[in-house]
Amino acid sequence: MFLTARRPRPSELHRVADEELMQLVHEGQAQAFEVLFERHADAAFSLAYRMCGRRAMAEDVVQEAFLSLWRSGARYDPARGSVRAWLLRSVHNRTIDAFRRTTVKAGRDVHDETAAERLHAAELTDMEVERREDVRQVRSALDQLPADQRKVVELAYFGGFSHSQIAELLELPAGTVKGRMRLALSKLRITLGEAAETPA
Amino acid sequence: MSEHERSLGGRGCAGDAAAYALGALEPAEAEAFRRHLESCVVCRDELAAFERVVDVLPSSAPQYRAPSALRRRVIGEVRADARRRARTGAPDARRSAWAGAAGVRRLPRLQLGLAGTGALAALIVALVLVLGGGGHGASSSRVVAAQVSGPGSAEVRLSGARAELIVHGLPAAPPGEVYEVWLQTGSAPPRPANTLFDVGARGGASVGIVDRVSGATRLMVTAERAGGSAVPTHAPVIVARLD
Repeated sequence: MFLTARRPRPSELHRVADEELMQLVHEGQAQAFEVLFERHADAAFSLAYRMCGRRAMAEDVVQEAFLSLWRSGARYDPARGSVRAWLLRSVHNRTIDAFRRTTVKAGRDVHDETAAERLHAAELTDMEVERREDVRQVRSALDQLPADQRKVVELAYFGGFSHSQIAELLELPAGTVKGRMRLALSKLRITLGEAAETPA
Repeated sequence: MSEHERSLGGRGCAGDAAAYALGALEPAEAEAFRRHLESCVVCRDELAAFERVVDVLPSSAPQYRAPSALRRRVIGEVRADARRRARTGAPDARRSAWAGAAGVRRLPRLQLGLAGTGALAALIVALVLVLGGGGHGASSSRVVAAQVSGPGSAEVRLSGARAELIVHGLPAAPPGEVYEVWLQTGSAPPRPANTLFDVGARGGASVGIVDRVSGATRLMVTAERAGGSAVPTHAPVIVARLD
C-alpha cells in the first residue's frame, strides 16, 4: 500500500495499490491506467479466452472492459471487492453480453479441447508468479467437487450458459441445476476457506 | 423434493443466489432477484459469500499473456485520449472517445531522439558482448535464458515477433526509477521497447514487450528515471540474446 499523501510519481505507480490507482485513473492519469492494465490484462484475457475460445472475440471483450474502466472507473466500489475481481466481473459480464449479441454458440467452450484459435503454448504466461498458490488452491477445490456439480459451474461461469440452457443441455430439471450450483458454491466456499475470504 | 429444494433446507425464498453469482439467471430473472435482495437479508448474505467464491474462479483458467496487439490498442487509445483531454482541458473528454472499434495503432514513442547516444550505446554494446548468451535455435517459439548482472534470474519467451520477459528475484528498481526494456539490432544503438516495469514484492514480474522484437538481436533492461528514458543511461541489469 502506498501510504504517502503526496501524489505518486510515475516511477512509483508500480508500487501503488490498485485502489489508489483507480482514483488516479478517475482523475485521468493514463500512466496509472497502464499500470493497472499491466497488472490485470493477462488474467482478463485468460478469462475471456477461456469463455470464448476465440482469440479475436476475447480481445474485443477485454478491450471493451479496460476502456470502460478508463472512462468510468468511478463506478468501482471498494466495498464489493478488489479491483481485480471487479475488473474480471466486468470481463465476465461483457463476454456473456457478447454471446447474447452474436448468438455465437458453436465456439463456446463447452469442452476445452474444442476451443478454436488456441494460443501457442509458448504464450502461456505461466506467470503471475505470486498468484500460483491461489491458482493451485482454486483448481484443487474445483477438482474436489462431484463431477455433476463441477459441470454446472463450468458451464455457467466459463460457458456463459444460463441455468435453463444448462438444464436443456444436460436434460435435467431447472431446479436440479440451480441446486447443484448452490451446493457447488457452498462446497467451494468451505474448501477455499480463507482464500475465498481474501479478495483476489 | 428436488436437489434445489434440499439445498435450500426448506427456506421460503427461491434461493437464486448461486445462479445469480455465476451469471446464470436470465435477464428478467436476474432483475427479479435484485428486487428480492432488497428485502431478503438471508439472500444478500448468501450472495456476498458466493460472489467471493466466484471471484476466484478466473484463476482456475489456463493463463495466457494478453496479446501485444491488444496492449497496443488499449494503451494507445488511452494515451491518445489523455493527450486530447490535456489539450482541451475537458474533464469529461474521456467519455466521448471510444466510439467504434479501434484499429491497431502504434504507441507514441517516448521522446525518441537518439542524438547523443553514441558513447552510451557503445558502452551498452560492450556490456552486451561480455554478458550476452543463451539463445538456442531459430524456431518461431522458444525460451531464451537471460544474463542478470545481480540477484535474480530472467528469461525471454519468444513467439513470432512477440516477446515476454519473465523475471524472478530481481531487486525493486531504485527509488525514483523504473526498469526499462531496450531492443538492439546488431551494433545499432538500443531502442526503447516502449515497455516499463517494476517487480512485485518477491521480485517477480511478467512483462509483455510492447514493441515487436522481430529483427532485434538483443533485449536489455536498465533502470531509468521516472517515466523512462529515450536512451539507456545505466548499464543493463538484464541482457538476452535473441539471435
